[in-house]
Amino acid sequence: MAAVTEVGVPDLGDFADVPVIEIHVAPGDVVHNEDPLVTLESDKATMDVPSPAAGTVRELRVKVGDLVNRGTPILLLDTEGAAVEPPPLADQQEPPALDAADPVAAAREPAARSVAEVPVAGAAAGAGEVGAAAGASAAAGAGAGAAALADYDGVHASPGVRRLARELGLDLTTLSGTGPKGRITKEDVIAGVRGPAPAEGGVRGGSPPAGAGIPEVPAQDFSKFGPVEVRPLTRIQRLSGPALHRSWLNVPHVTHDDEADITDLDAYRRELDTAAKAEGYRVTLLAFLMKASVSALREFPKFNSSLTPEKDALIYKGYYHLGVAVDTPDGLVVPVIRDVDRKGVTELSKELGATSARAREGKLGPADLQGACFTISSLGGIGGTSFTPIVNAPEVAILGVVRSRMTPVWDGSAFVPRLMLPLSLSYDHRVIDGALAARFARHLCHLLEDVRRLVL
Amino acid sequence: MENQTTEVLVLGAGPGGYTAAFRAADLGKKVVLVDREPALGGVCLNVGCIPSKALLHAAKVIAETREMGENGISFGPPLIDLDRLRAWKDAVVGRLTGGLATLARQRKVTTVRGHGRFASPHQLRVELAEGGEVSVGFEQAIIAAGSEAITLPFIPASDPRVMDSTGALEVEEVPGRLLVIGGGIIGLEMATVYHELGARITVVELLDQLIPGADRDLVAPLAKRVTRQYENVFLRTRVTAVQSRPEGLVVSFDSASDRAKAPATDTFDRILVAVGRRPSGSMIGAERAGVTVDPSGFIPVSKQMRTSVPHIFAIGDVVGQPMLAHKAMHEAKVAAEVIAGKNSYFDARAIPSVAYTDPEVAWAGVTESEARAAGVAYGKGVFPWAASGRSLTLGRSEGMTKVLFDEATGRVIGCGITGPSAGDLISEAVLAIEMGADAADIGLTIHPHPTLSETVAMAAEAFEGTITDLYLPRRP
Repeated sequence: MAAVTEVGVPDLGDFADVPVIEIHVAPGDVVHNEDPLVTLESDKATMDVPSPAAGTVRELRVKVGDLVNRGTPILLLDTEGAAVEPPPLADQQEPPALDAADPVAAAREPAARSVAEVPVAGAAAGAGEVGAAAGASAAAGAGAGAAALADYDGVHASPGVRRLARELGLDLTTLSGTGPKGRITKEDVIAGVRGPAPAEGGVRGGSPPAGAGIPEVPAQDFSKFGPVEVRPLTRIQRLSGPALHRSWLNVPHVTHDDEADITDLDAYRRELDTAAKAEGYRVTLLAFLMKASVSALREFPKFNSSLTPEKDALIYKGYYHLGVAVDTPDGLVVPVIRDVDRKGVTELSKELGATSARAREGKLGPADLQGACFTISSLGGIGGTSFTPIVNAPEVAILGVVRSRMTPVWDGSAFVPRLMLPLSLSYDHRVIDGALAARFARHLCHLLEDVRRLVL
Repeated sequence: MENQTTEVLVLGAGPGGYTAAFRAADLGKKVVLVDREPALGGVCLNVGCIPSKALLHAAKVIAETREMGENGISFGPPLIDLDRLRAWKDAVVGRLTGGLATLARQRKVTTVRGHGRFASPHQLRVELAEGGEVSVGFEQAIIAAGSEAITLPFIPASDPRVMDSTGALEVEEVPGRLLVIGGGIIGLEMATVYHELGARITVVELLDQLIPGADRDLVAPLAKRVTRQYENVFLRTRVTAVQSRPEGLVVSFDSASDRAKAPATDTFDRILVAVGRRPSGSMIGAERAGVTVDPSGFIPVSKQMRTSVPHIFAIGDVVGQPMLAHKAMHEAKVAAEVIAGKNSYFDARAIPSVAYTDPEVAWAGVTESEARAAGVAYGKGVFPWAASGRSLTLGRSEGMTKVLFDEATGRVIGCGITGPSAGDLISEAVLAIEMGADAADIGLTIHPHPTLSETVAMAAEAFEGTITDLYLPRRP
């Protein structure tokens, strides 16, 4: 008999109450040393808890969505010896012994046995004895913990649908079919998986939200067309992808474009930047955009709100924390600069420089990524003429800026060269309407065109 | 040959084994396939399904040309060259097994020829056919060791005139009188062949009908035909002794039949023993791997084909009845896919059985006698082929198609077909069972006319009461 070890959550650093987002093993599974058991997710990162030893999983102590801390029991592990213990094979029938006195009858016996076990497929209403005809074949045995392994006796579903359900881990007996005569169709299975968000960890699991029963993009074998290589998504991409998908599907997006004349602002910025360089930091347009945004948020408080979960009220925020999208080698991150309303351009510039550096080094902590009211995404360093940023829900708007360019502008009597900055403001149309967005954008441009207004 | 290691080891290269090996390879696994025989394909391809079908085709040609004599086309008696017949049969087999070797090579499946026995839960020792021994280490294994013909202890096995199915397929000669012990599928198929080649056949069966397990009404047309054609068909009769004598094999019978009663003894030129097959579970050292084998040699498995040892799977004849290649092939895919991490499951609702006799007998799902015994509320639609234009144009009228339906839902739960090509016709019923089709679904599906496949739709219409090709008194 093997020893039973309780495996607990290892030291996680500073985190507390971290949710379990994935469980990789089930009771009866054989695991090797270092095999991942569960995945935890902090605001900053996901981490796998590895098995401390080889063995067989006896019992799970956590479920998806549970909040765990250092030392929280995850599961009970039977160490190696247990792995060779035969798992129970249910419904085992004792086959008849060969009868030497009556060899022909004995030889016939297996056939007779098969007769008793030939499937009674449609004897659907549960006449019993339905199922696989393999004589000695037993019911769900080793590793058959999940409901998906249930025998789908009497379920009106074709073999292909039954296979799909098993692949997706869905118990067909819990589903009602929408096909002819109540047949469970492939679409029913897909809807059953997507469907009303499962109670456990649906949102964090990264699945699309309730009601979005959209069909999956069909899988393709690209290797048919040429050489391919599979590279896993980075940790950041795995975290940000579901968040972006969630926002895209939940928020009715509109993007409003405008243009600000920043000729004067840019001259002023260059002056400051020249001075700053000597002190070891840079002054970028972003600091001014942040100050201008705070002013616009004050003027139009709806932009500094969020919908209640019931979507019947707006929560107005009395603080001004701004998210700033930063491009890192591993993907997009959005650190948050706090209390922008109480900071000057110089202070903001210094903080932006330090934060960006930490983001690129992957050193941002969870606190650095929380609490934004509004986000700015700047592609000005790269180029472009406009784009559609995705609102970082539950925020209600995001400002995208691209590269400013010198443009001939009619001043009433002549074309004059002016440095123009294109702005793309995406907003949640449930909260903000087009006129308000246009006013917000105009207000921003107005501030940026005359830098003196920023200090007012 | 050197010791080797692999991800997946498959023991046995029959239809189950090679299917499992190929599927596992296609799912990215490194696979070693071990078999005793020089050619892949196991019993089915080498000494079973395939060569017997070649000989049955020859038998059919002989029968049809003879019967056509009554309708104006005569060829004269056949000239039978057994050597050429055997060579053709072997060529068919060779083409198929050669194809398998190519498929294995294309998938980079390593084949090892020899007798494999487990040495530990992760190691198989193979006694190589070429001499010597090799050890194959594996992460996971699929046992597809199959089955072998059962021998009867009181029959002198050393007498070359006593054959099993493998020997019978070699058609060394056409005996004057052949005794077939066992009135099941294998015995009757070989009886069909030897009868048409010119032997006088006696069939002896312990139970009270041919092809026990199939419904009696389905077997009746076959029983009627062979009773007329063969010398004797003895039911409820036991062979109690066989003596090898120079003039022949003297067989003692113990007959409980009150109809065609066997004599106390009779003398035959050859005997075919076809009393069933025994699983090979106890011949592979399974105990050293920790795999549970039951006393009769079957290896119990879960519906994911897992044995009592989680990383060792078993499929095919060795896991239980029915011992059929198509069952093995589906189990093979389940095992290979589970090994590759897919959540596959053997949940077939019907496994068809076919006797390639003349006429053929095929059935799937629940039989009528099972339904009766289980108290299932069922209804049935029967279409006699005497009303099928296509059947009559083939010169045959004795066939029948019977479809069983669940009374409550109208869904197909079973089907039995007797007649030429019944084995090809049964697939529609198997699909209907898997899809949960009911009588209307089948009856309203347009079947081409005139075909034998129509008879399935006609049987469904007979159940529904919409048939016009028969007059059936209105159901109450």
